[in-house]
Amino acid sequence: MTQPSPHIDHYLAEFARLERSLAGAAQDSVARERHARLKNFAKTGFPATQQEAWKYTDLRALEKRRFEGSEEAPTVGEKALDALLPANLDAHRFVLVDGHFESSLSRLESLPDGVTLRSVAQALEDGDETVTEWLSSRDDEATGAFGEMNRAFVSDGLFLQIDAGTTLDRPLLLVHYSSGRNHEFMQHCRHLLRLGDNAGATVIEQYCGDGEEDHLSNTITDVQLSSGARLHRYRLQEESRACYHVSALLAEQARDSVLINHSADLGGRLSRVDTRSHLHGNGATAEFYGVYAPDKRQHMDNHTEIDHDCEHGVSREAFRGLASGRGRGVFNGRILIRRDAQKTDSELSSDALLLSPRAEIDAKPELEIYADDVKAAHGSTVGQLDEDAIFYLRSRGIDDDGARAMLVASFADELLGQWAPEALQQHVRRALLTRLPDGARYADFA
Amino acid sequence: MLKIENLKAEIEGKAILNGLDLEVKPGEVHAIMGPNGSGKSTLASVLAGRELFEVTDGSVDFQGKDLLDMDADERACEGLFLGFQYPVEIPGVSNLYLLRAAVNARRKYRGEDEIDAMEFMQHVKDKAGVVGMDMDMIKRGVNEGFSGGEKKRNEIMQMLVLEPTLSILDETDSGLDIDALKIVAEGINSMRSADRSTVLVTHYKRLLEHVQPDHVHVLAKGRILKSGGMELADALEAEGYSGITDEAAA
Ligand SMILES: Nc1ncnc2c1ncn2[C@@H]1O[C@H](COP(=O)(O)OP(=O)(O)O)[C@@H](O)[C@H]1O
Ligand SMILES: [Mg+2]
Repeated sequence: MTQPSPHIDHYLAEFARLERSLAGAAQDSVARERHARLKNFAKTGFPATQQEAWKYTDLRALEKRRFEGSEEAPTVGEKALDALLPANLDAHRFVLVDGHFESSLSRLESLPDGVTLRSVAQALEDGDETVTEWLSSRDDEATGAFGEMNRAFVSDGLFLQIDAGTTLDRPLLLVHYSSGRNHEFMQHCRHLLRLGDNAGATVIEQYCGDGEEDHLSNTITDVQLSSGARLHRYRLQEESRACYHVSALLAEQARDSVLINHSADLGGRLSRVDTRSHLHGNGATAEFYGVYAPDKRQHMDNHTEIDHDCEHGVSREAFRGLASGRGRGVFNGRILIRRDAQKTDSELSSDALLLSPRAEIDAKPELEIYADDVKAAHGSTVGQLDEDAIFYLRSRGIDDDGARAMLVASFADELLGQWAPEALQQHVRRALLTRLPDGARYADFA
Repeated sequence: MLKIENLKAEIEGKAILNGLDLEVKPGEVHAIMGPNGSGKSTLASVLAGRELFEVTDGSVDFQGKDLLDMDADERACEGLFLGFQYPVEIPGVSNLYLLRAAVNARRKYRGEDEIDAMEFMQHVKDKAGVVGMDMDMIKRGVNEGFSGGEKKRNEIMQMLVLEPTLSILDETDSGLDIDALKIVAEGINSMRSADRSTVLVTHYKRLLEHVQPDHVHVLAKGRILKSGGMELADALEAEGYSGITDEAAA
């Protein structure tokens, strides 16, 4: 049933306004795809809490906004941007400002041979066939209304291809900067990270901004790993408090490939993250780790899915939530082990700390197992800071704020301690701790 | 150093300390003995500032200041140290980090600069050596996976690093074998000086043979029922507490 809805009408009109300026407008296949996706979006509009996957995430406030796209990026000073990025991080840098690649802020010299890196918008302008084909493909229907919206409105993104046997020499920092200058502004980015046989890379997606105007940031990252490829992917979400952040990782993994995905959700007003991998080759490994720390009135929703579709797959998943103020966290970790996915080895854990009486976390591990010869373990805890530990620390002279900061840091560090390189780890730890009273003093924690 | 007068404390409406008096002068070592459940750990906790217990009456003067008016961390910065009967495990916070934070908290309290990293490491190494802890243990999480005896040695090591003016050691000798007991006793003795004091809570004369106390007290039913010298500890070891508690009841 199609219900006429004011927000849908708005986005149809917005699409009509932007259509001719959208990347790849001249290419029929891309334009057709955008239309088809817009139609899909218009059929449903934004999801409602009646849908199981959106049960705890109420989008009525978002639905009232009338987000508008932009045809080009505003000017952003290099200094303002640098202040937000991890200090001393030795990395290639690809910067998007309000959803548009900004070459003057990027650092892409000296890429090794076998690495192709392009702005999606530019590639479409040039009629790059690989990119056109990827953006016209219809085999990825499963990301719901935001996915459809993204595919209709996508403005730019990163296309990264690493040829077989090649390793990206340094991490690639993929910056999404939202200026937050225009009222009710939206951006839709889409990335493709494609690694050939035995290729390797580290990609850090950082989301940041300092504006105060409400905006929507909606990103999809497609990952394709060929046999034996290894990708470390980090997602560092430090959006401004005015941001509605939606992002998805959709990975396809061939034989013996390894995807290690770390995420930290710290910013935004509301965030919804879908992290999924489909293990379609034998012996593939997916590791998903995430820290989410809603405070004040932040809402953070992480949905993950690891789909074991082949034998000898390995999955490791651990999420840690830290909710304070009236913060609300949601974690849903689904592990699907299909009938033929024998010898799968899977571990999933969710731990949550409630730091204030009004904070809330709803965490649900969800194992669906159809194969009979598998190892699968899962566990889930929700607790508070240990008062005995706080007193112990205070009896040594550390004040209450310090004791709490240390315990929070140690809880999160179980996962953040694995972030590499060191400069990135220090950045994310500091970002987490500076949100606590007097926490910055304990940022040298590890 | 420490003057406790008529101290009363309760938890969840249940009275534990019932008008306790105790005075500790600079340089003195006091031993507190007493039956299980008599309130020894409660006294130690109340002195260290655990808010779980409610002080309903009495006063505690510590070096001329009102101890009960200070938060737990302020008391520590003023020079009070509690060796826990049951040291807490804090996985993920290293012993080393805790010590550095504790040392720097004191320095900040006194308006001093943070300790030099090299100087700090040397200081910790020296003190760890006294109680036979190696740097691997020091770098582990606080008491993480430590045996009972290792936890107690860690308490003493922390005391040595932090150099308090008043140490309250709650059954630090329980569960130690003879060698560990000697190590702990040496640690305590190495701290003895004219301006430092120690309160030892213990069940056994053993520790007191290594650390000669100036005074021995019997704590029962939330009060100091009897005080004396080493001879009191001898009598308790021989006859148990019942004689004293009966005597007091009579
Ligand atoms: N956290 C607590 N909650 C309730 N009762 C307590 C608590 N701690 C101690 N008590 C009670 O206080 C009394 C004294 O305990 P404690 O001070 O530990 O004795 P001791 O150290 O002399 O063995 C006991 O009856 C004990 O059950
Ligand atoms: Mg006790």
